[in-house]
Amino acid sequence: MENHSLLQRLIARPEFGPFVLLVVEVAVFWGFNHDFLSPQNISNILAFTVELGLIALAMTLLMTSGEFDLSVGSLFGFSPVLMWTLFNSGITSLEVGFLVALLVAALIGLVNGWFVTQLKIPSFLVTLGMLLVVRGTALFVTDGFPQRTWSAEGSWLANILVGDFFIGPFRIYMSLFWFIAAAIALGYVLTQSRTGNWIQAAGGNPNAARARGVNVSGVKIGLFVLSSLMASFAGIISSLRTSAANPNSGTGYELEVIAMVVIGGTALTGGRGTIIGTVLGILILRVMRNGIVLIGVPGLAYNIFIGAIILGMMALHSWLERRHQAGT
Amino acid sequence: MAEPLIRMQNIRKSYGRVQALEDASFHVNEREIVGLLGDNGAGKSTLIKVLSGAVPLTSGDIFIRGKKVNLRSTSDAIAHGIETIYQDSALVTQLSIARNLFLGREPIKPPRFLNRMDQEAMNNVARDLLKQVGISKNIPPTTPIGSLSGGERQAVAIARAMHFDSDLIILDEPTNNLGVAETQGVLSFVRNARDSGHSCIFIAHNIHHVFQVVDRIVVMRRGKVVADDIDPKKTSVAEVERIITGMSDKEIRDAIADGKPSH
Ligand SMILES: Nc1ncnc2c1ncn2[C@@H]1O[C@H](COP(=O)(O)OP(=O)(O)O)[C@@H](O)[C@H]1O
Ligand SMILES: [Mg+2]
Repeated sequence: MENHSLLQRLIARPEFGPFVLLVVEVAVFWGFNHDFLSPQNISNILAFTVELGLIALAMTLLMTSGEFDLSVGSLFGFSPVLMWTLFNSGITSLEVGFLVALLVAALIGLVNGWFVTQLKIPSFLVTLGMLLVVRGTALFVTDGFPQRTWSAEGSWLANILVGDFFIGPFRIYMSLFWFIAAAIALGYVLTQSRTGNWIQAAGGNPNAARARGVNVSGVKIGLFVLSSLMASFAGIISSLRTSAANPNSGTGYELEVIAMVVIGGTALTGGRGTIIGTVLGILILRVMRNGIVLIGVPGLAYNIFIGAIILGMMALHSWLERRHQAGT
Repeated sequence: MAEPLIRMQNIRKSYGRVQALEDASFHVNEREIVGLLGDNGAGKSTLIKVLSGAVPLTSGDIFIRGKKVNLRSTSDAIAHGIETIYQDSALVTQLSIARNLFLGREPIKPPRFLNRMDQEAMNNVARDLLKQVGISKNIPPTTPIGSLSGGERQAVAIARAMHFDSDLIILDEPTNNLGVAETQGVLSFVRNARDSGHSCIFIAHNIHHVFQVVDRIVVMRRGKVVADDIDPKKTSVAEVERIITGMSDKEIRDAIADGKPSH
């Protein structure tokens, strides 16, 4: 067990499969069309990728603890609508509107967590219900119309969140740094901190964790709040970048985000999660979406490829898992 | 006589209309290994579940070193130094040996606000402990529990009980599903527990295993303690078996002849 070579250990890691897939994907798209790796296209991919990515990072921790959150897409749409509505009606400044939107998101996460841990209702049902409540609120408040968005350029909040600049030929948004910071922080929490040990134990064997004095409910509630906060934050970033606040935006993101997380190697059943894997999973799906359009496959065929990737990666992960359990 | 480590008095426990425990009284002295025997359904597991805080009692009292305690959860019992080892169920299979050993009590590296586990210290302690509980194979402490054998898992749970200074370690049928060598490992642990200052309650189907390691045998039948001071050195296996079944020699012979029990 100890004399496995470095290469063998690398291959045994759950992130290895997604890594290979990403490399193959990039190589194939580049082979078809060299513009795929042009600075402009890379900048394009990154801009939206990190917004979905922020949600996927939080979802990784939540899923490791054995729960998931279907309400993230609706919060992605609702939070900017709330912020702009407060601002447009003159009730608050943009900054205060931003804080209120985050606060409301945190409350929604708290309610999700409370229903799941205290009323013991499966997170699938709780967050499905919350999805409808939140999306419904966004549609009702706006009559289904996009909100007027004042071009946020120049406001310090917009600069911090989505200010853009060029590094060489690459157009970089500030949100990329928020994503990198979140990935490092949450990766650290999951693998190095004692909280990470509790998250994994809560998903792996909650009764055993409870018996050791771990506050399993507390951990899960905290992660539901984190998930809602990240979805809200991502929605606001996206809205500021595109100067749009549509009550329908974010529809279907919950499934795409969960797909990113499981493709990366996090177990849907909890107990095992990897932030590195999720970052790879995020890139795999976003590169796929971009590349398909670029090489001329009809965009409508996108879902065929995504579905195939999910099935393929699940087969690979379950095979690795069985080999691992067999004690090789 | 000195106050025993654990005293359970007139414990009743009913699951709806099933009376699992009827006025059971039971004690364990300091540094004593007690074997708990009884037929299937006699109430052994229920008795120790009450003691480990896993199920609430219907009525009765529990004293630890003479002080009455109220055990509402397994973490209450653990805080009082009572550690129960069930096969598998107390470990997180996805986590490593070291992470399981320290679950809920992870040492933190300074500065504290970073909340960072001292994984090096955890791995070192785990390596030592694994040797102490008789895992001679060189298993790295970073191995996930999921890739260990049943006996090795048992040993990890036992190591955890020893490291966190439990006064009483309860083993409910710990040798089920274990191989011969693994069973010997568990038995030798139970034998050594007394020397390292622990008390132990040992429940096993194999009456010979119990005879090999315990100081005193307690027998339960239909929710009651029917004998609580059997010395395994002065009593034969056959006599204890008779107490367990609650039948006389003649009744046993008749039962065997009929091919079914007489009650
Ligand atoms: N969770 C439960 N619900 C209902 N009845 C139970 C439960 N657990 C145990 N019992 C009953 O309590 C009695 C004692 O069971 P148990 O303590 O498991 O016996 P033992 O461990 O000695 O085999 C049995 O009649 C059993 O059917
Ligand atoms: Mg039993």
